Amino acid sequence: MIFAKVIGTVVSTSKDPNLEGKKLLLCKEVDHTGKPLNSYHVAVDAVQAGEGNFVLISYGSSARMTELTKNAPIDAVIMAIIDEVQITDPAKSAKKGTSEV
Amino acid sequence: MKLGKVIGVVWATKKVPQIHGCRLYVVQPILENGQDSGQPLVVADPKNIAAPGDRIVFVTNTDAAQAFDTGFAPVNASVVELVDDIA
Repeated sequence: MIFAKVIGTVVSTSKDPNLEGKKLLLCKEVDHTGKPLNSYHVAVDAVQAGEGNFVLISYGSSARMTELTKNAPIDAVIMAIIDEVQITDPAKSAKKGTSEV
Repeated sequence: MKLGKVIGVVWATKKVPQIHGCRLYVVQPILENGQDSGQPLVVADPKNIAAPGDRIVFVTNTDAAQAFDTGFAPVNASVVELVDDIA
């Protein structure tokens, strides 16, 4: 899974019927320290994430493995809201909690 | 599959039910000689195989869901082995 920060919502009235009732959030990919990377994802929200939340995104066909996203044309799902990233390796020690970034 | 080193832990209380009680590790992919190779990612550990500091083998893409008993979880990276040695 990758780290991401929710930066917005994709609003759409006309969409694939299988996406009805599913919130599409615009997410900026970040690294394990919270530093933004130059990549973004439009992901279905399965955990009621909000703007500014640090989240985990799973992508590929396993993104369809939730009750909400199964049988729908989806390849990215937000499956967790991060409370804290604890870096234990001294060589990689970075800002402890990305949620404060 | 790929080799990796567990460099951290992700704490997340709010998550999809399929991964409740499953540890989520920050893993640095490594080369066979132990050098870093690419961006750290988050790897699920449904079978509690690894711990921080361990070297592991992890599986990616949809097959990562097979590491879960149900075979149904929205994950694209899972621990499958603890590496004792690379001879």
